[in-house]
Amino acid sequence: MSAASDSAEIAPDRLTYARDELLESGSYAAPLIAGGVRCHGGFDESGAYRSPRTIHRMPAVRAWQARLARDGHALLEIPRAAMPPQYPNVEQAALLLENGVRDPIVRTLTVISIVEGFGAIIRDVRVPDLASLVVEPIEGTALAHLGGGLFEAHARDESGWKDEGGHKQMWEAARDLALEKPKIPGDVLLRMMGRQAARRRPERPFPQLDETLERMLAIMAQVLVVEIFAEGTFDWGYRLLSNPKVSAAPEAAGAMVAHIRADESPHVEYLRTALSEVRARTLRTVDGKTLSGRSVVDGLVHRILRDVTRTRPQEQRDDLRDSLAEAVKVAPNPQRLLDELGALDTEWTPPAHTGFEPAAG
Amino acid sequence: MRVASLAAYLYAIYKLPALARRLLGRAKATDRELAPTHRRAAAAILATALAMRGVMIKACQAIATRADVFPPEMVETLKQCHDAVPAKPFAEVRAAVERELGKPLGAVFARFEEAPIAAASLAQVHGATLADGAEVAVKVQYPDIEEIVRTDLRNLERLCRFYEWFDPQPLELLPLLQELTRHLGYELDFRREAASADRVRAIFADDARVVVPRIHPEHSTGRVLVMERVSGIKITEKAALEAAGLDPAEVVQELMGAYVRMILAAGFFQADPHPGNLMVTPDRKLILLDFGLAKELPEGYGLGLFELMFSMMTLNESAMIRAFQELGFETKTGNTDTFLLITRRMLARSESGSFEGEFTEEMTDELFEAIRQDPVVKVPSDFVLVGRVFSFLSGIAHTLGHRANVLAAMGAGPPG
Ligand SMILES: Nc1ncnc2c1ncn2[C@@H]1O[C@H](COP(=O)(O)OP(=O)(O)OP(=O)(O)O)[C@@H](O)[C@H]1O
Ligand SMILES: [Fe+2]
Ligand SMILES: [Fe+2]
Repeated sequence: MSAASDSAEIAPDRLTYARDELLESGSYAAPLIAGGVRCHGGFDESGAYRSPRTIHRMPAVRAWQARLARDGHALLEIPRAAMPPQYPNVEQAALLLENGVRDPIVRTLTVISIVEGFGAIIRDVRVPDLASLVVEPIEGTALAHLGGGLFEAHARDESGWKDEGGHKQMWEAARDLALEKPKIPGDVLLRMMGRQAARRRPERPFPQLDETLERMLAIMAQVLVVEIFAEGTFDWGYRLLSNPKVSAAPEAAGAMVAHIRADESPHVEYLRTALSEVRARTLRTVDGKTLSGRSVVDGLVHRILRDVTRTRPQEQRDDLRDSLAEAVKVAPNPQRLLDELGALDTEWTPPAHTGFEPAAG
Repeated sequence: MRVASLAAYLYAIYKLPALARRLLGRAKATDRELAPTHRRAAAAILATALAMRGVMIKACQAIATRADVFPPEMVETLKQCHDAVPAKPFAEVRAAVERELGKPLGAVFARFEEAPIAAASLAQVHGATLADGAEVAVKVQYPDIEEIVRTDLRNLERLCRFYEWFDPQPLELLPLLQELTRHLGYELDFRREAASADRVRAIFADDARVVVPRIHPEHSTGRVLVMERVSGIKITEKAALEAAGLDPAEVVQELMGAYVRMILAAGFFQADPHPGNLMVTPDRKLILLDFGLAKELPEGYGLGLFELMFSMMTLNESAMIRAFQELGFETKTGNTDTFLLITRRMLARSESGSFEGEFTEEMTDELFEAIRQDPVVKVPSDFVLVGRVFSFLSGIAHTLGHRANVLAAMGAGPPG
């Protein structure tokens, strides 16, 4: 974790932070400029990249995690085995690019940048009065800092803020560096929004909970899963864009993805910490009873993992399938290319269990 | 010219008393004191509009959609321009339809209602039944409307030149006007309208929550449009929506979602979302009507608009400046500091430093106000109808008392 060296002198056991502290980046020896755009984060004297807004945020998250451990509670782990593979995989993507088929890859990279930017919606999540909805005290936890800087820092990291770009702009830069400012296919947004339109409003799995609390927890669990699975996407992006056979700027584009990946770690950590804190507590229901936080968090995570493993691989394929036959026409031998792509397919079956199944009975 | 005498009348009832007050050293009149004046003004405007139809009705529809800007007396009086303009006598309608279809009414329709369902700026709409039993709505263009619109547009152009002459920092109105004029001209061609309806319906082919009435092309001409008859609650009738068990907040969100999809994603949109053209069914479907005013954006423009709105929603100044430039906004000096000023001004509106993802009426207004005050001279013509749409949507949201979360409408998933 890149923030470690900077935070050594800050008291490691501090549990309460002001909003401004959690949003503080400190100063950098050199800024990060991506594709001519000033972005967040920057470099220290030694040239190492340091993520934005981590001066206090990283030590804070570590202190909250240490406290959980002291109190004998485990940190929530999302099983990586539930992570569907990226489609097209790195080899398939490289093959397409080598054959001059760029649109599908440009589209995928653009969708990644937009989805990253959409992460900003986390700042619109309403935080209920947790002190009254959680039985046990919440002082000195990540949970108590969600509305006090953690969500806001996350939002700024993803979509950029004020005069700095964020992950959205960094992915755009990586794409434009590697593929030399490609033309963006006109249907990118239509495909994304079409998928959204098809989705139904989710029913409430825990109607006995305060609705704002339930929504907040559901969104946090959703974002946590997305962030963890994004590791696969980052890995894909890194390997593809730093491959000199297909990338015009293997070093710079690869480095950009590496910086984004470094920035994501605080997101995963604060979300799993706060959800673990809920798991270790008891929630009040609207009808005056209580519910174990563990049953709620695990129930939410279970549903999300089940849905994601079922829908995501299909969505990625659907995104591409219609356009692939059209897109490969620019290749010297379209049919052979399609056959070769098929041969490179990654076999994957979703795990039979999410590991978060509700206990029987 | 009627418009000129209307202008003189409005001047007399608003400006002269204000002048007198100033001379007498009295405070500015409050809105409440002005209410009778607003009522008289609205009545005068309405009378002129009803007599003239066409562009004047369009202007009144815009006023009546912006309850957040105009006084309530004005909005209340003018809202009948959305769909309840007094109709032309049936004999005229019958003659027009028979002339257009080249056969007697009875040859096409098993039944034709003499009283119209509604009437607005360019046409009135009658319920009817086709020979095969299909229930249809027949949109019949007012017979003399072409001439009226032509005159209106000439007058408008003069008015704009007049205005530019006096305004110390004029917006370049003429290009904007040209864009509007071009589209008004198109609006009189119902074949084009039919094609636009088909295109928008295709955009929502996978989304059953948005309805565009089907067209019967075999019975339609350039001046008569026969389409599937639909029914629903006018989108601004908040009490009726609630009585039907609909949540106005959701209605606002779905409306924004539909427009975001048309404008940003598809690059083709129904550009006239005044409340007369929008209905909601009790089973939560949004009906889009009236594709007379529809706009196709150049390729890539939707993505540019997406970037602009996205950067506004996420308070990203530098991205906003790039988006302005990409969309073809130009400053007089070529200096981008102007864009920075505009963005800062807009973002300063948000006290918390966040818009909470909402595209508010303040933002739309602030954008236009900022553009006016700073020396941005060129608003790209492709932006004109987009801006108009968002202005209407803001007005409707205000009337319903809820704001849309734009990030969610763009597909960012549900906010809390
Ligand atoms: N298919 C339909 N089914 C039922 N009612 C309809 C239908 N189409 C239109 N209407 C009603 O007729 C009114 C006028 O139709 P429309 O808006 O198409 O006419 P217009 O003259 O183009 O209006 P505008 O002034 O909005 O441009 C609508 O506001 C609506 O109330
Ligand atoms: Fe993230
Ligand atoms: Fe209309």
